Amino acid sequence: MEILRVENLNFTYSLSASETLRNISFSVEQGDFIGVCGATGSGKSTLLRMLKRELIPLGKAVGNTFYKNVPLEDLDAKTSACKIGFVMQRPEQQLVTDKVWHELAFGLENMALPSDTIRRRVSEMACYFGIESWFDKKVSELSGGQKQLLNLASVMVMQPDVLILDEPTAQLDPIAAADFISTVKKLNRELGLTVIIAEHRLEEVIPVCDKLLVLENGSILIFDETYKAVSDLRGKESILCAMPAAVRLFSRFDISTDCPVTVREGRRFLEENFSFNVKSLEREYYSHSSTPALEISDGYFRYRRELSDVLHGLDMTVYEGEIYCILGGNGSGKTTALSVCSGLNRLYSGKIKVFDKALSSYKGRELYQNCVALLPQDVQTVFLKNTVREELSDVNADFSTLPYDISPLLDMHPYDLSGGQQQLVALAKVLASKPRLLLLDEPTKGIDANAKLGIISILKKLKAEGMTIIIVTHDVEFAAMCADRCALFFRGSITSCDVPHRFFSENNFYTTAINRMTRHLFCGAVTVEDAYQLCLKNSKA
Amino acid sequence: MNSFENYNPISVFIYFMTVTVTAMICYNPVLILLSFFGSISFYITLNKAQKGKTHVFLFALILVSAAINPIFNHNGATVLFIMNNNPVTLEAFIYGVFLGIMIASVMYWFAVFSQIMTSDKLLYLFGRISPKTALLLSMTLRYIPLFSLQIKKVSASQKTLGIYTDESIPDKLRGGIRVFSVMVTWALENGIITADSMTARGYGIGKRTHFSPYRFKVRDFVLSAISLTLFTVSCVAVASGTTAFSFYPYMSQIPLSAFAFLSYFCYGIAVFIPTFIEIKEVIRWKYSESKI
Repeated sequence: MEILRVENLNFTYSLSASETLRNISFSVEQGDFIGVCGATGSGKSTLLRMLKRELIPLGKAVGNTFYKNVPLEDLDAKTSACKIGFVMQRPEQQLVTDKVWHELAFGLENMALPSDTIRRRVSEMACYFGIESWFDKKVSELSGGQKQLLNLASVMVMQPDVLILDEPTAQLDPIAAADFISTVKKLNRELGLTVIIAEHRLEEVIPVCDKLLVLENGSILIFDETYKAVSDLRGKESILCAMPAAVRLFSRFDISTDCPVTVREGRRFLEENFSFNVKSLEREYYSHSSTPALEISDGYFRYRRELSDVLHGLDMTVYEGEIYCILGGNGSGKTTALSVCSGLNRLYSGKIKVFDKALSSYKGRELYQNCVALLPQDVQTVFLKNTVREELSDVNADFSTLPYDISPLLDMHPYDLSGGQQQLVALAKVLASKPRLLLLDEPTKGIDANAKLGIISILKKLKAEGMTIIIVTHDVEFAAMCADRCALFFRGSITSCDVPHRFFSENNFYTTAINRMTRHLFCGAVTVEDAYQLCLKNSKA
Repeated sequence: MNSFENYNPISVFIYFMTVTVTAMICYNPVLILLSFFGSISFYITLNKAQKGKTHVFLFALILVSAAINPIFNHNGATVLFIMNNNPVTLEAFIYGVFLGIMIASVMYWFAVFSQIMTSDKLLYLFGRISPKTALLLSMTLRYIPLFSLQIKKVSASQKTLGIYTDESIPDKLRGGIRVFSVMVTWALENGIITADSMTARGYGIGKRTHFSPYRFKVRDFVLSAISLTLFTVSCVAVASGTTAFSFYPYMSQIPLSAFAFLSYFCYGIAVFIPTFIEIKEVIRWKYSESKI
């Protein structure tokens, strides 16, 4: 049965000259799981908001949207609020109240339901989502993943028929993100809930979607079943780069089989189409410079005396001119390690040297001038002014010397930029002090795949200029593409450290999708490029 | 556990009100002492040997009150000695002691009250009066930790940018203003997302209710009924002058009529109710544990 229908929808924002959405028509069946993809600025968010009456942005809309054959504007307020649920990107800002149970009850309170009904629905949802153990907690005590799960649960208590998700996992680490997506899948499968989801990173999402809706410049490029849709993406680089590794690899070849989507299908695709005579690529031996930029020996740190160690016997040496990626689970101490390197926190035991000089002997601001700079995880904390121009002139940044161009953004408000653009502006501000050692905390969080490729090329340019870069990240694909050496952080110290292709081939789970796909066929293939090169050498023809 | 803090907030609120109001209006040494011992015994059953500082502070308060009242208050007939040409009287001293005890006991009651009445219980109380106020309070409680965390983060990233000094006081002040001004933008910017999330869940379409996980059970009714009855007795006793006691010029006899005794008895029961409930629970727990 058809549940949502969009007919010839056009939309122009009130202060914009061009249309953001053009001639959008599609229909959604009950129980569909639809993935919406497209580059930043293709109109994904706008389209999703047009489907939820309360969130329709200001502007001129032409065309109609129907929910069960009733135009959205004719729905009564309660149906509209309850039956179409909406979850947004930022977990923190969507929470309204201070307690978990109150957040769950919030929507039902708005419906003026009696206490007993609210109690029943809230306890049922808490049980379904496994929230019982943190039901009484304050929301400020939850992890990012728990917050987003709570946002989902507090929409689900309203018993929606359609769930719309606008990049719900962009701010989450990969494990929490996978957890979230599988919960959504479970809702779709067990309750027959209709799901429409937009995401930047599609590795986890695409395999669970029934249909894909691909947007390009505000109009529908493809709307088809997932398997058919992904096969049609050859040549569409800006959309393709966000796709699962199997799809990206498939699109490099002109082979007319079904497009693989998961790791398992990707492996089968390789097995069927290639021979495996050449096992590994010849790689240059990686040699780092002999002068260390940062040295930590036997470092111990804890936040308070009564708490346990966050850094526990940390030994770490980063050499000048290399890109060093630190990977590891949540709470393993990665971010704390960065804060210690940048002098925000002090070790209680152990030594730390920056450019062969003890960190403690840097006086005042000396450490932060031409020496160390830290780009924090939440880049919004770097912005203080109303435009990018003021932001940069405030720190005397010369944006002509940057390895990238931000001149089109100069007159915008930093908060109005996309995630990727914010990252670039914040980086420009941090680079103003001409650091020799750059520390980055999760630089790929909340940004799209194109922006990620942009950041990789910028980091490589900075490295070529002689900068040493330490990156803390959850993003294994990113680390595999840009790192010179990768290190695994576990319980406050580094347990292994190696060049990416060896580092990732020795890990079983903590590795890239390509490596999982090819580990029994090739040796040391970690990126799509690696796999592509190996495939070329092994073609059957 | 069925301990006192698990009673419905309304009953707990009524209880605290009746007990503290009686202590404050009675001016009777027996009632004041009862309130003092009741509050202190409840405080100790709740906190055991911890929070010793409160005891030190409140006993010091009694001593200070005992010392200061005779210096400033020269009423009373029994002169102990003359200081700076002013008489220091026994009555003023005793009055000071009892005033101190009364204040200390009320502070003990408020200490346990604030320990038991967490923010969501207060919200529950307010929510019954006005759901809107309750939501506003809840949102405020949510925003305060969010705000202070963000301020910490912004200050840290300003430091590592290395462009702003914080060595002198004017520099620090300037840094503070800079951070504060960006926090205003941040709050407005993020407020939009919160507002979206609220309207998306139907906020503002009409009257709203206030949900709370607390239920009003029989035991809550019993507790409220008992505290109100006992309170009525003490009120009648105080209002009729049965328990009246005067310190000046001479201390009067402690009222010992039958009705006065009844009011002492009632108030005595009232102040020890929470201690009694806590001890009963411990015993019951020990007993059922021994059966396992």
